[in-house]
Amino acid sequence: MNNVKIKSKNLNVYYGEKQALFDVNLDLNEKEVTALIGPSGCGKSTFIRCINRMNDVIDICKVSGNIEIDGVEINDKNLDVVSLRERVGMVFQKPNPFPKSIYDNISYGPKIHGKGETKSELDEIVENSLKKAALWEEVKDRLDEPGTGLSGGQQQRLCIARAISVNPEVILMDEPCSALDPIATAKIEELIDELKKTYTIVIVTHSMAQAVRVSQKTGFFHLGKLIEVGKTEKIFKNPDNKMTQDYITGRFG
Amino acid sequence: MSNEHTVKSYEEELRHLIDSVIKMGSLTESQLIDSMDAVIKVDKDSIDKIIKSDDEINKFRSKIDTQIMTLLVKRAPMAIDLRETISSLKISQDLERIGDLSKSNAKKVKPLPLDLPEELLGNLKRLGELVIKQLNDVLDSYVNKNYDKAKEVWEKDEQVDDLTYIAMESVIDFLSKDKKNLDFSTHLIFATKNLERAGDHITNIAESICYLIKGEYLKGSRPKGKVIQQ
Repeated sequence: MNNVKIKSKNLNVYYGEKQALFDVNLDLNEKEVTALIGPSGCGKSTFIRCINRMNDVIDICKVSGNIEIDGVEINDKNLDVVSLRERVGMVFQKPNPFPKSIYDNISYGPKIHGKGETKSELDEIVENSLKKAALWEEVKDRLDEPGTGLSGGQQQRLCIARAISVNPEVILMDEPCSALDPIATAKIEELIDELKKTYTIVIVTHSMAQAVRVSQKTGFFHLGKLIEVGKTEKIFKNPDNKMTQDYITGRFG
Repeated sequence: MSNEHTVKSYEEELRHLIDSVIKMGSLTESQLIDSMDAVIKVDKDSIDKIIKSDDEINKFRSKIDTQIMTLLVKRAPMAIDLRETISSLKISQDLERIGDLSKSNAKKVKPLPLDLPEELLGNLKRLGELVIKQLNDVLDSYVNKNYDKAKEVWEKDEQVDDLTYIAMESVIDFLSKDKKNLDFSTHLIFATKNLERAGDHITNIAESICYLIKGEYLKGSRPKGKVIQQ
C-alpha cells in the first residue's frame, strides 16, 4: 500500500446551521485512486472541496478538524490558498473550459502561477499537458480554436489537461463522467488509470461500476458520515457494513 | 431501511434464480434416490425413467445459465447479489454433474444379476444413504442460508470417503472369491466411485454456500478419508 498523502482527522463541515460532515477520518494514499460513493447530499463532494479549500468561497461554510497534505495542515488561516490549489487541481461534473482557445485554456494556469516564462516553455507545457490528457493528437492542429467547440468528452479531457498544466500533486474529480457518453467515459477512465502513476486522485462518482473500474480504495458516505472505507474489491464483493451493502446493491429505501 | 431492492423486477429476477437452483436441487436429489434404489433393488424397469429425468436437470442448468447471463447484463450485481449470482452458477454446475453420475449409476443396473448377495450391497447402500443425506443437508443449508450446516456437510465428506473405501473392499473381496463375478463387480466398483464423486460435488456446493454467505472461502483443505489418502 502506498504512503498516505492526504489525512482528514475529525473533519466537520457546517453550512450555516446545517452540519454536512460529521467527524470524517479518512486517509487517501499517494498515487492511488480513491472513489467516494454515496447518495446525493451525503457529503462526498463537500469532503473533496475541503481538500483544496473550495468551501472557502461559500460564506456560510465553516470547517473544523484537520486535513493534512504530506503532514501539513491545510486549514491553517495563514496558508496560501492559491498555492494550495496549484498543488490540488480539480475537475468538475460538467466540462467548463474557459471561453478561450484550446492553447489559452492550458497556458492560463501556468502563466498565473509564474510557470513557463517564455513562449517556447509555455508551448512545451501545453503540449505535454495535452499529451498526458490523451488529447494532443486530436487537437494539435487547431490549438487556436475555442475550447468550447470541442465535444463533451474532449472538453473534459481539456479540463484535465488544464488541471495538469500546473503540475499538481493531487487531482480531485467531482463526477467527471456524468455528462459524457460511454466512449468518452472510457477514455477518461483510461486516462485516470494512466494519471494515477503520477498523481493522487480522488473521484466522486455515482457509478458503482466506475468506482470498481478506476479506484483502489472506496469510501461510502451517508448523511455526512463516512460509513465504511476499504479496498475497492472488498467493498464491492463483501462490505462489512450492512448500510454499504444496501447502497451498492440498490436496496436503499 | 428495506432489505428489498428499490427495483422490484431485480428482486424478482434474483428470487427466480434462487428458486430455479432449489428446484434443480430437488430434482437432482430425487434422481439420486431413484438411481440408488434401482442399484440396490436391481430394478431394471426404472432405468429409462432415471435416464430421462437427467434431461430435466440439464434443462434447468440451461435455464439457470440464461437467468445468470440476464442478471449480469441487466443488473451488474454487486456484493451479496454478485455472490448469489456466481454461487448459483457454480452450484448448478455441480448439481448437473451429480445428475450425470446418478444417470451413470442407473445404467450400471442393466448388467447386474438379480440375485446379488446382501453382504455385497450392504456397504454400498450405506454409502448411498450417506450421500443422499449429504445432498439433502447441503440443499437445506442453501435454502436457509445456514453457514454452519454447509460447513458440517463439507467436513462430513470424510465419512463419504471412508464408506467408499469400505464399499470398494466388499466388492473386491467378493470378486476375489470367484473370477466369474468380474463383469458385474466392475460395474459395482464404478457405481461406488460415482457416489464418492457425487460426494465431492456436494462439498463443492457446500463451499459455494459458505462463500455466498460470508464472502470468504473456507480456509484449509477439507478433511479427507482413507480412500483419498491412499
